[in-house]
Amino acid sequence: MATLLKVANLHKEFTLFIPGAKKIRALENVSFDMEEGEILGLTGKSGAGKSTLMKCIYRTYLPTSGSIRMHLANGGVSNIAHAPEHEVLSIRRTEMHYCSQFLHAIPRVPALEVVSEGLRVRGYSREDASGQAQKCFERLALPEELWNAYPSTFSGGEQQRVNISRAVLSRPRLLLVDEPTASLDLKTKDAVIDILLELKASGTSILLITHDAHTLNRLCDRCLHLENGALRNAVPVRNTEKV
Amino acid sequence: MNHQEDQNWLLRVRGLTKIFGQPCDSSIAQTGPEHATNICPETGAVVAIADIGFDLYPGEVLGIVGESGSGKSTLVQLLHFDQEASGGRVLFQEVDQGRTNILALSNQRKRFIKNHLMGMVYQNPRDGLNFNFTAGGNIAEKLLMAGTFHVGKIRGRAGYLLTQTEVPVLRMDETPASFSGGMQQRVQISKAVANNPPLVFFDEVTSGLDVSVQAKVLDLIRKLQQESGISMIVVSHDLGVIRMLTDRTIVLKHGRMVEHGLTDQILQDPQHAYTQLLVSSLL
Amino acid sequence: MVAATKFQSSYHYGFIDEATKKEIRRKTLKAVCIPGYQVPYSSPEMPISRGWGTGGLHLTLTLIGKSDVLKIIDQGSDASVNACHLRRFVQMMADCAVTFDTAQATIIQSRHRVPEEILTNRQILVLQVPQPEVLRGVERFEARTRQMHGEADYSKIWVSLYEAYVRFGATMRGSGYPIKVNRRYITTPSPIPRWDTPNLSMAHCLYLFGAGREKRIQAIPPHTPVEPLEFEDVKFRVEEFAGIRCSVSGESRAFMDEIFNGEGHRRHVINDSNFLDKLTSGERPPQRVFVNS
Repeated sequence: MATLLKVANLHKEFTLFIPGAKKIRALENVSFDMEEGEILGLTGKSGAGKSTLMKCIYRTYLPTSGSIRMHLANGGVSNIAHAPEHEVLSIRRTEMHYCSQFLHAIPRVPALEVVSEGLRVRGYSREDASGQAQKCFERLALPEELWNAYPSTFSGGEQQRVNISRAVLSRPRLLLVDEPTASLDLKTKDAVIDILLELKASGTSILLITHDAHTLNRLCDRCLHLENGALRNAVPVRNTEKV
Repeated sequence: MNHQEDQNWLLRVRGLTKIFGQPCDSSIAQTGPEHATNICPETGAVVAIADIGFDLYPGEVLGIVGESGSGKSTLVQLLHFDQEASGGRVLFQEVDQGRTNILALSNQRKRFIKNHLMGMVYQNPRDGLNFNFTAGGNIAEKLLMAGTFHVGKIRGRAGYLLTQTEVPVLRMDETPASFSGGMQQRVQISKAVANNPPLVFFDEVTSGLDVSVQAKVLDLIRKLQQESGISMIVVSHDLGVIRMLTDRTIVLKHGRMVEHGLTDQILQDPQHAYTQLLVSSLL
Repeated sequence: MVAATKFQSSYHYGFIDEATKKEIRRKTLKAVCIPGYQVPYSSPEMPISRGWGTGGLHLTLTLIGKSDVLKIIDQGSDASVNACHLRRFVQMMADCAVTFDTAQATIIQSRHRVPEEILTNRQILVLQVPQPEVLRGVERFEARTRQMHGEADYSKIWVSLYEAYVRFGATMRGSGYPIKVNRRYITTPSPIPRWDTPNLSMAHCLYLFGAGREKRIQAIPPHTPVEPLEFEDVKFRVEEFAGIRCSVSGESRAFMDEIFNGEGHRRHVINDSNFLDKLTSGERPPQRVFVNS
């Protein structure tokens, strides 16, 4: 399989000027590869740096040093750690999607719109996009009366399902998912897992953060463990061996 | 990524500078965020902005954020030719394939560019609208300047835009003076985008509106951007506006760019002390 | 005494002193060179007050020679009080011949009308202009209007036409309809009715416009294209006198005056007095009539 993402010697240090210049080391010399079509788990205690790593890959955080090379669909390679902003934006639009723990949706846009928007941007008709979004909501058992309501009023679990629907329907080459099953009941959790597996089958690579052993076991091909901002195992372990 | 895409910018700004008053050789060196002033200590010249450089790509929304007096408005006013720059180059892909510094063109060429290829929405509707004309007449002005001399087409387009911006079409032939602030702002937006220009500037468009009206105006701008893919430069001191509307952000302080980055990066991982202060002040 | 000898003889030929005449002629030439452009000039004192035709007098008196034949009309009439007095004044100052006959005149000074009869390449029409600035209605400041002319920034005048159409459903400017001269400057050709506007375009004669109070000279040289501003779907129209005939001559194709008698009865008479005289004496002077599309 071809390499999709190559992270090398990644460091991230936060400098907080308020109050007083204070440096916090969040990631230290993180290096790993990710194959195309694989689901890579990311584990570790709270504060170990999982989300920081993910946000660095999405460029929500600016890496202090090191490189994040992504092999693009057009055959090129982009170092997301230092690429110009417009390049990162274009990768985000077409190849990489970040599904965070919390729904970041534009206020006053109905759930169905939030989800179908990504499809419309990529050229689907309004009806088609809306149809796909509805199907996804049905599978995730999101009550129909919420479809045209604003997600900011939703409960945590409902928001999460909207968030996952949006991520799945945007069909990126690389999906970054932070705790996709955290606030869901078992049945919905399994529905999410099934949907992510289907996404994988269609060729999407997924980097997954989760604390949930069940989710991890069902989804991940491999797993990386972070401890105090560093990878504990230089060679990633198979999830079948150890979690 | 391949190198060719780097040439796809829509607007390229380099070394843009505006100084009010008499500058001396060291006016620029003695002002800026590290001196905590934009007033030259020797001559009293005000360095409104200095050495601003960025590229805007098609379909992007660029935010410009900073406190009052940081030079945000001056920056867009220079780009819209409302003021004359003291120095710098601005290249615009739509003009001579981006080979000409549009700041150095004749007033007539500048007016052509402004009328045909740009739109501007000011903080104060009185700056962008002529209150002696009707709402429809104001939109007509932009269309006439861009070469539409057909009353039927003008009225059709004005009616469509006012519907889109939720201004009752029945009030098209009233002057905006009788409109509420939010409606005036929406008429101004209709005017700015009337001829589908590739680039539109928004200067503090929601300041002074109450929050529900503010939300409507923001929703409108977002909808317009989504549907037409217009490139936009949005000036605001309100990080909420910046977060909602923009892809990328430039942070200005004392007329200098202290930081630029993706908007979510600026908000979640600000690098500069000033930006951190700004973000931490977000309600 | 020096003073006595200096003022013993009567006035200069043509009333205006030679240096000022020279200046006005130079400004007139400049106006001819830039059709439709408002050339500022000195506008010297006249024995009538500014606003009563001084701009027209300045042009006439600097153009005229003893061999010229002068005609002065006011609102189409040779016989109005103003026309009579101005005619007598110029005749006195320039020692020239005067006439009522449009075809005979070499210089015609007029207020608010272009004669119905086609003017020839031997003739100059001098028009008195109260307000030469077409943009004054939409822009108060002279500095701004000059810049607008300089940059051909005419959006505001277009919007005012649009608004007039929207408000009234038709062109409501009775006189001084804005025109574009030689595809460049937009101007108002003095308050002539719309009926006369098409006659300014590609004419054989020279049109000069003098605004004495505002101190501006404009010109439309012979064979200059002049277009009234119009929209693609709302065209310029001249006044229509549908079903109306002149109560004196019975003619219908001319600009008419509407006259009410004491009982409120209405009748129409051709406004151009010399044209009417010729019609009633059986002549048919050449005329250019614009037909609305």
